[in-house]
Amino acid sequence: MYHSKKLHEKGIIRNRKMLTQSQYGDYKFVGHLDHIKTFHACIKSLCFGENGTVTFSEEGLRITVEQGKSIQATLFMDPKFFAEYHVKDLTSFGLKLNVFAECLSLFGVMDCSVKMLYKGDGAPLIVLLEPHNDDDVSTECAIKTLHVDEPIEYELDENSASLNVIFMRGPDLFNIFNELDKAAEELEFTLSPQRPHFKIATVGVVQAESTVEVAKSSDMILLFNCRDTTVARYKSQQLRLMNKALQAATKVAIKTDASGLLEMHFMMQSGDAEEIYVQFFLTPLLDI
Amino acid sequence: MRFRARMQDALYMREFQSIIATLAKLAKECIMILADQQMHFIVNEEHNSTTAPLVWASIAAADYFPEYKMVPAREDHPYIVLAMSAAHLSRALAALRTGATVNSCKLKLQRIQFPCFSVIASVVSQQSAEPREVVHDVPVNVVAASDWPAYKIPKVPTSQLVLSMPSLRMMRNVIDSLKNMSPTMIFHANAGGELNLVAESEMVTITTAFRHLLLRRLVNRDPTDNDEQQVAPDASCSVDCRKASSFFSALQLPNEELSIGIDSENCIHLQLDVRESVVLHSILPAVCF
Repeated sequence: MYHSKKLHEKGIIRNRKMLTQSQYGDYKFVGHLDHIKTFHACIKSLCFGENGTVTFSEEGLRITVEQGKSIQATLFMDPKFFAEYHVKDLTSFGLKLNVFAECLSLFGVMDCSVKMLYKGDGAPLIVLLEPHNDDDVSTECAIKTLHVDEPIEYELDENSASLNVIFMRGPDLFNIFNELDKAAEELEFTLSPQRPHFKIATVGVVQAESTVEVAKSSDMILLFNCRDTTVARYKSQQLRLMNKALQAATKVAIKTDASGLLEMHFMMQSGDAEEIYVQFFLTPLLDI
Repeated sequence: MRFRARMQDALYMREFQSIIATLAKLAKECIMILADQQMHFIVNEEHNSTTAPLVWASIAAADYFPEYKMVPAREDHPYIVLAMSAAHLSRALAALRTGATVNSCKLKLQRIQFPCFSVIASVVSQQSAEPREVVHDVPVNVVAASDWPAYKIPKVPTSQLVLSMPSLRMMRNVIDSLKNMSPTMIFHANAGGELNLVAESEMVTITTAFRHLLLRRLVNRDPTDNDEQQVAPDASCSVDCRKASSFFSALQLPNEELSIGIDSENCIHLQLDVRESVVLHSILPAVCF
C-alpha cells in the first residue's frame, strides 16, 4: 500500500480511489493465508457467476454467488483457516469474482502467501501476494468493491421427514459425473432408503438411456442417512457448474428432501488441518 | 549470389532451432539478412501488427557456423535479403531439436525451379551406420536491392535504464494474467533496481514489484549534471499488454535471464543474450492511454 502510494505520487498509478493509505489498525478486515492453492481453487469454482457477495464476520469469511434464481454457491472459510484473521464488526460488499480469481493467479502455479485487507465502505479490497521462493517479488492488487443485493436464503428443513443425506468421496463422485452422457439435458436424482439407494439417470437423449446406481454399502459412500424416497430432476448444465468445486473436493455431502431442493456440500482440504467448504443450492425442474 | 553454411555442434544447432521456432510463433513471414559475418532475422518489420511485437535476432556467423560463405549478387552489395515463411523454416529445422542424432546441418541457397533455402541435416539412424540426409527446401523470395531500405535491421533504442531480470517464468505468468484485465500496462523502473509492472482498469489496480534487480546501465538525461545533485532517474513506459504477452509466450529458448531497457515514453527494449554475439531483441512501442 505504501508502495502504490509512491507510484501514485509519481503519476504511474492514476486511479486514486484504489489507494488505501491508512494505518494497519484501521482495517475492518485483515486476513492472511500462508498458502494460496486451495483458496484459489475454491474461488475459481465460484466463477460461474459474475458478482460475488463477500461477508466477513467473527464466524469467518463467506462468499456467495448466484446465477439466475436457480443456483447459488457459498464459500465458507473458518477463521482457523487463516494464519491471521481480524475483523471489526460484520462487513459485506460485492466483488467481481473473475477479477479476484485472475489476481490470485498472477504468479501461476507458484506457491505464495495472500494477505487481504479491507478498510470499509467504498474502499477497495487490497490483495497482497508474496511468492515463497522469491523475496524480491510482490504484488499489490486493489479490487473495486461494489454494492450488491442480499442473496436469497435457501434452506433445507433439518426436521423434515423426507430429509436425505449422503456423504461421498469427492473423486468418486467426480468420476461418476464425468461418465454421464454430456448430451443429456436433464439429470434425475433418486435417493432412497431402499434400493437403488442413490441413482442418477440421464433424461432427454434420443434413443439413449444411462443410469448410475450407487449402493449404500459401496466404498464410495461415507455416510448414508435417507428417510424417504425422493426423486427430482435438475438441469445438467447447472450441475456442471459444480464441476470445478467437485474436482477440488475431498468429500461431498448430498442433501435433499421432498421439495427437491438439492444441497451439495464440497469440502476442500489443504494440507492436513482445516477445510474450506463450498455449498451449492440447486432448485429442481418442475414435475412433468 | 551464393550462400552456404554448416553447423556441427549439437548445442548450437539446438539453439539455432529454438531461435527460429520463437520467430515462427510470432509471425508468418520472416526476413533473413545474410551479411558477411552475420546472419539476421526480422519478424513483424512493418511495425503495425496488432498483437505481435517487432522482434529481431542477430547471430554472429563465427559463433554457430564453422563454415560460412556468402557471395552477394553484386560485389558492391553488403548482403543478401530473403523473405520466407517462418513456419516452413522452423519445420525444416525441426530435426535439429534432438541434437544428439544429428551429425551436421548444411544451409544452402539454391535455385530449384525457384529460389530455395535448403536445410540439409545429416541424421544418424539406429538401424544403419550410414547417416541419412534429411533435406528441406524452403521457398524464398529474394528481396531486390531497391527494396532493402524497408528491411533495415532495427536500431537498439537508447534506454535510460536497463535492468536485468533473472526470472523469466514469473514475469511471463504475471504479464499473461495482466493481459486479461487491462489492455495496457506500465513498466516503471528506478535506479535502485526496482521494476514495477502496473496495470489499471476500472475494476482493479495491480502493481507487481520486482526488487533488487541488477542495473545494467543508467543513462543520465542531462550529462552536465554533477554527481552530487544527481537525482536517481525513474523511467516508465506504457505498452500494449497483448504485445508484451505474445513475446513472452513465444520464447522457446531455455535462457532465464532477460534485460529490460526502458526508454521513457517511447518504448521498451527486451534483449535476450543467447550467447555473447547471438542476441534476440524485441521492441514494444509505447501506447497512450
